[in-house]
Amino acid sequence: MALNRETSGNRWRIRPDGPGKVTGGLAYLTDLSAPNMLHGLVLRSPHAHARIAEVRTEEALALPGVHAVLTHADVPGLNRFGIAHPDHPVFCEERVRFVGDAVAAVAADSAELAMEALARIEVDYEYLPVVSDPELAMREDAPQLHERGNIQHRNDYVRGDVEAAFAASAHIVEDTYETPRQMHTYMETEGGLFVPEADGRLTVYSATQHGLMDRMQLARILARPEADIRIVSSPIGGSFGGKDELNVQPYGALLALACGRPVKLHNNRFESVRAGLKRHPMRITMKTGVDAGGKLLAHRVRIVSDAGPYSTLSAEVLNFAVEHTLGAYRYEAVEVRSFCVFTNNGMSGEFRGFGGNQALFALEGQLDRLADKLGIDPWELRRRNLRQRGDPGPFEQPIAQTDGARQVWEALPASRLWLERAEAAAAAEAAPAAPTASAAPAAPLGMTPDADLRSASSGTAEAATLQLPWLKIGYGASFVMHGAGLGVGIPDPAGGRLTLAPDGKIEAAFGYEEFGQGLIASLEQMLIEKFGFAGSDLRLVVGDTDAVPDSGSSTASRATSMMWQALERMREPFAHSLLQVASRVLVLPKERLRIGEGGVCDAASGERLLAYRELAQSAAEPIACETSFSYPASPVERVGAHYLYTYCSVGVKVEVNTLTGRVRVLDQFHAVAAGPVVNPQGFLGQIEGGASMALGFTLTEDAVMNSGMYLTRNLDSYLVPTIAEQRGRVEVLPIEELPDGDAHGPRGIGEVGSVGLAPAIAQAVFNAVGKRVSKLPIDPAELQEVPDIVKEGSCPV
Amino acid sequence: MIDKLAAKQADAKLQCEINGSPVTLETPPTRKLLQILRDDLGLTGTKRSCEIGRCGACMVLIDGKPVNSCLTMAYQCTGKSITTIEGLAPEGGLHPVQQCFLEEGGYQCGYCTPGMIVSVTSLLERSPKPSMEEIEEALSGNLCRCTGYGGILRSISRAIERGGMAHEG
Ligand code: FES
Ligand code: FES
Repeated sequence: MALNRETSGNRWRIRPDGPGKVTGGLAYLTDLSAPNMLHGLVLRSPHAHARIAEVRTEEALALPGVHAVLTHADVPGLNRFGIAHPDHPVFCEERVRFVGDAVAAVAADSAELAMEALARIEVDYEYLPVVSDPELAMREDAPQLHERGNIQHRNDYVRGDVEAAFAASAHIVEDTYETPRQMHTYMETEGGLFVPEADGRLTVYSATQHGLMDRMQLARILARPEADIRIVSSPIGGSFGGKDELNVQPYGALLALACGRPVKLHNNRFESVRAGLKRHPMRITMKTGVDAGGKLLAHRVRIVSDAGPYSTLSAEVLNFAVEHTLGAYRYEAVEVRSFCVFTNNGMSGEFRGFGGNQALFALEGQLDRLADKLGIDPWELRRRNLRQRGDPGPFEQPIAQTDGARQVWEALPASRLWLERAEAAAAAEAAPAAPTASAAPAAPLGMTPDADLRSASSGTAEAATLQLPWLKIGYGASFVMHGAGLGVGIPDPAGGRLTLAPDGKIEAAFGYEEFGQGLIASLEQMLIEKFGFAGSDLRLVVGDTDAVPDSGSSTASRATSMMWQALERMREPFAHSLLQVASRVLVLPKERLRIGEGGVCDAASGERLLAYRELAQSAAEPIACETSFSYPASPVERVGAHYLYTYCSVGVKVEVNTLTGRVRVLDQFHAVAAGPVVNPQGFLGQIEGGASMALGFTLTEDAVMNSGMYLTRNLDSYLVPTIAEQRGRVEVLPIEELPDGDAHGPRGIGEVGSVGLAPAIAQAVFNAVGKRVSKLPIDPAELQEVPDIVKEGSCPV
Repeated sequence: MIDKLAAKQADAKLQCEINGSPVTLETPPTRKLLQILRDDLGLTGTKRSCEIGRCGACMVLIDGKPVNSCLTMAYQCTGKSITTIEGLAPEGGLHPVQQCFLEEGGYQCGYCTPGMIVSVTSLLERSPKPSMEEIEEALSGNLCRCTGYGGILRSISRAIERGGMAHEG
């Protein structure tokens, strides 16, 4: 059943953070201010690669109202950060390696004064040659950006004899796929408030996806105990991976401590563009062979990923990409060689999909090209090669078994969109002379209110414009098997805590972050549905290192799964403790009681017998329950291998305007097999929102660089989809069924929606106009055709 | 340079109405309305994002028309009536458009939401039953990175269904 408000019934709930968001009353961390507050700014390198000869700060410091000007000499601890490999300088010492590299920071009475102070810092640079092409950077004669060389990470995976398998292949296709430097473009840029407290501690109000990780890194930079630092990190105006690494925090913290006053930083958009992470641009070359029956025999992959100047999680993203270039299929032999390369381009780093987006664009492109060679339906080719239930994962590692692959495969041909496609094909066959007429939209099934709105006017517009001969319609599909969790080789802790607080609130504390995904809405919904509490009984505590246990990071589509598992573990013991105390107070056997809304109830009648507040007052000691465990991992050595997967099939219908070369996505279908839907509104929003990001990745988004300089500076030239690009219909079909006895519950859905759309669109474009696209975003010039009238050299009179 | 700064910053008197109350401020005539709202008056429901008029996070109503406050200078506000997200509905209540966004989940991170709601409100006041084309036009300057606009369109759809734009208590 398509997911929407109607089909969700009373499981469609108003989010606890909703009222604050629709009224504007919710204060984001960049909305905060404090009495006596200073404004901080960072001086960043204007050059992509240069030696720092000298930095002179005296003039800036002499400016009245300027309270601190800091450079690397002022960092008491480690002058580096980075989650996995701390090699990113807080302040550069001798060399800058990209246009966002920080050299100094200032705090002043006003933002204007801080800007003036930046202008008065003099830095002498000596230019160094810029390394901007990752292929060239790998050559031995290239300027080396780090002592360890320019190849940050390699990951090879070889299984079987790939040469022999190519020799046995009936058809072979080879192509090189290129993907853009996509920007996260969270609407709230990086920033926050940094407050030195009277007791000597430091409070950091700034967004992150893992508060405890920030605390550890800041402690290391500041040379202070972690206990002296408190990180408050939610709510967040979007992140998508982009705020996972430290950004403004080191500067805010250092300035606040240097001045002994609160300091605020809030990046303007260009600052965010130049200093922030982007999706790794990748060049993926694939050569893939099949036998005459369409069985995949050989698959050779070479990935070159542009890591930018510092490590971030580039190695981990590359490992993920390697796994996902193999994907959901069986092969006789595979050979993957991959490289992650330092350059003087902008920072690359973690971004929703984590390398899967690039990998799937290439892999699914290969399947479509092979189907074409074989003359069979691309979906049928996938069926012939899909891993079956019981099969291991892409690295031949044990994985949690589900029927997800089969289920989402079957869902596509049964979808409204695919039925419409079949009808269109049949009609085209019946009346080959007028194929456009048959493509008029069929009466949609199961319309939701938005479908009404989206099709009401676009339907007529579509019907009218479809007659135009330069508008071509095409359908395409892709298949996604997406891993969640951090994978083998990275500690992946999880946990949470439930407490009956003295005021009678049931307090649920998790070390996760709310960046819009609906984490606290999902937490609330699970507490209500699993325990029987009312929303008003609850206090949800996230995003504050003083108040939460270690739950691991809010990344890798893991948080909701881990909250679900934590609550499963705590349900029995916590309910038991509550009922035991209640039974003592009420002098009733525990069996006659149950958890209810507002308090402990009579198990039979449901009548409330003891409010939680009274229960809290009568408990001799606090009633609490805590759990800690790890995200399930595959028992293998292969770094990055996953254990839990989400499966997804994506179908799209596009319209290509061959005059302008523009592609419009008219209709999307997503079947997602990820176990039970925890929160219908959140689930739908994650798939729709992820798909919108994928639409931008495919059609318009690229932070363009030239010789290490950003040509893209703001949202006038960086084009994220607007409502006009999103007027097409989006149908989401969750497949909730899991095998009997599955202990893992809901799988991750935070990223998977952003992965499959690009290859599906590329295939739809091919079906519309017969052109293969292998570089994203799609260049309209590639799809433009010379109109017949021009070709004939005459005009109608 | 500092003298120039000082000269540039010479304050002028700004008199206008914000969310129904008269406001008098001493402020440089070129100061952006966005800064006045957020930094001087603490009305942080109006958001800062691109500051070039592209994203709509900073949208407010000036004499009922949607305007990017990041592109509006203090002198342009003289004598005007400005409504921010905080002033759409009476204290403690919700405007019907806010109610529809709440029910349909027309937001995720919520950072675009105040601007989006301001633009939708203004659209529905002009045109209570807008076509998809009108919606596209009216919201072409409001970016949302989280939702893919699905929840936003459902919210608008519901608001159109409900018709009446009068404030609820
Ligand atoms: S901040 Fe004003 S339009 Fe973006
Ligand atoms: S809800 Fe996050 S930008 Fe719209």
